[in-house]
Amino acid sequence: MAPVLISALEADYILKGIDDNLRADGRGRLDYREVILETGLITQAHGSARCRLGEGTDVLVGVKVDIGTVDIDGTEEEVATVKAKRGRVVCNVECSPIASQQFAGRGADDINNELTQMMSRVLNGPQGGLNLEKLCIIPGKACWIVYIDALVLDYAGNIVDTMFMTTRAALFNTQVPKAIIHDLGDGEVEFDLSEDVEEWERIEGWEHVPISVTLNKIGSRHIVDATPLEELTTEAKLHVMVNRNGKICGIQKSGSGSIEHSLLSEMVQVHIFVI
Amino acid sequence: MVDRRRIQGPEVSVAPIIIKSADKRTCLKDEHSRRRDGRNLEDICPIFLKTGLISQANGSAFIEIRRTKIACGVYGPRQTKIPSFSGKGNLNVEIKFAPFSCQKRRQPYRDAQEKDLSQLVIEALVPSIRLDLLPKSTIDIYITVLENDGTASCLAAAITCASVAVADAGIEMLDLVPASSASYIGGEIYMDSDLAEEQHETGYLILSYMPSLKEVTHILQSGDVDLALTTQAFEQCTDACSKIYSVMINSLLLPIRDTQ
Repeated sequence: MAPVLISALEADYILKGIDDNLRADGRGRLDYREVILETGLITQAHGSARCRLGEGTDVLVGVKVDIGTVDIDGTEEEVATVKAKRGRVVCNVECSPIASQQFAGRGADDINNELTQMMSRVLNGPQGGLNLEKLCIIPGKACWIVYIDALVLDYAGNIVDTMFMTTRAALFNTQVPKAIIHDLGDGEVEFDLSEDVEEWERIEGWEHVPISVTLNKIGSRHIVDATPLEELTTEAKLHVMVNRNGKICGIQKSGSGSIEHSLLSEMVQVHIFVI
Repeated sequence: MVDRRRIQGPEVSVAPIIIKSADKRTCLKDEHSRRRDGRNLEDICPIFLKTGLISQANGSAFIEIRRTKIACGVYGPRQTKIPSFSGKGNLNVEIKFAPFSCQKRRQPYRDAQEKDLSQLVIEALVPSIRLDLLPKSTIDIYITVLENDGTASCLAAAITCASVAVADAGIEMLDLVPASSASYIGGEIYMDSDLAEEQHETGYLILSYMPSLKEVTHILQSGDVDLALTTQAFEQCTDACSKIYSVMINSLLLPIRDTQ
């Protein structure tokens, strides 16, 4: 990615502002920008949502569900039997070049990959919230695969938080066609998909899908919801994913700096306050 | 009519008794909370760490923890090939899993997981290396995983190994970066879990930490966990890192002692 630069004076201005709990746009350290969330914008998708953060960051998420075969790669028998009864979630994040010059060409490859893996890690597994067992159609054979595609359309800082908020909204909006199972005898099972839109159902457990709070360490303090200039001053970021029960669903550091031992514990505590 | 050429079995047969425990989870530890290899829950495994195994590299290291085997070579600092304006040096990490390293064969080309792990190793190491002293230069770190015994502990071992290799290359650093991992299984913390334990985990924590500066260079947690348990795992991983730190220092001192 082409480095985007910040002058030493600008960095110093931001740093001092944060020390005084007053940022360039008038916010305090732990204040979020205004969030505008819309759902159901794309008719071709099974679920969609768009989120704008302040006057900048814009993320569009489309969810499509598709029938797929059950993927059993766990060699241990016990693990395989659990997997056979589950659907799965496939994530993809793309930072569009229209959002920022730095995403042009192959520049976005690294960040796309990082965000995609981060989202897959959180949404696949018990912390993801979705009831994957409800996505199973015929155990061991067919299941629903939920494809979550996030598109970053405009960049004004804090992509990760926006992305998780939009994903949660898109999953709330998703309607899965009902599968009608016919037993043909001799253990042979077939299924049809219901044409009736009235019968389509929400994915169970969408309300437990976590959201993320990103804390940016600048100097010896930390802020939430950073703007691009503030992100350039950031030494290290800490993404903390939390669900509605206040449980931590994931922690990840990114960026090139390190975080003091004591500050890290404090930063993890802060996320609960923010929510 | 009986076929006489066949081996005659007994006339009556009894169905075999299949001894299988109802819950395999209990097998991960016995009643004294000892794990299958005799460790307690909070114990880490013995580590074998050796530097200078790759003759062509500027610095190299090899680590072995249980069945995990990782080799790492450091080349550089050299001039950045495509120079772009930067007052700092560049760090390039490539993790490669050998095709035979996991239970399932891995494709020889670089996949998304390898790219992601490489990025995590970069983020864990960058805070410790004095890249500000190496403008317009690049350091290349190549990590090959020969055998993988649990992905979380494997990543931790890769960070530890790479950090020692960088020190072996004589590159200026603030501190060594030991890393350790923990699995959450049934509301308990299993330090440094192996592949079988990892398949039962509900989450994991990987922490890399600079003990002299008391700074965390990387943290990665996944799973549905209480704040209290996270804090406890965090403390245990920090302690484990301090233990690994002494192994790292020994491995760097050993070749010097030998020449003396």
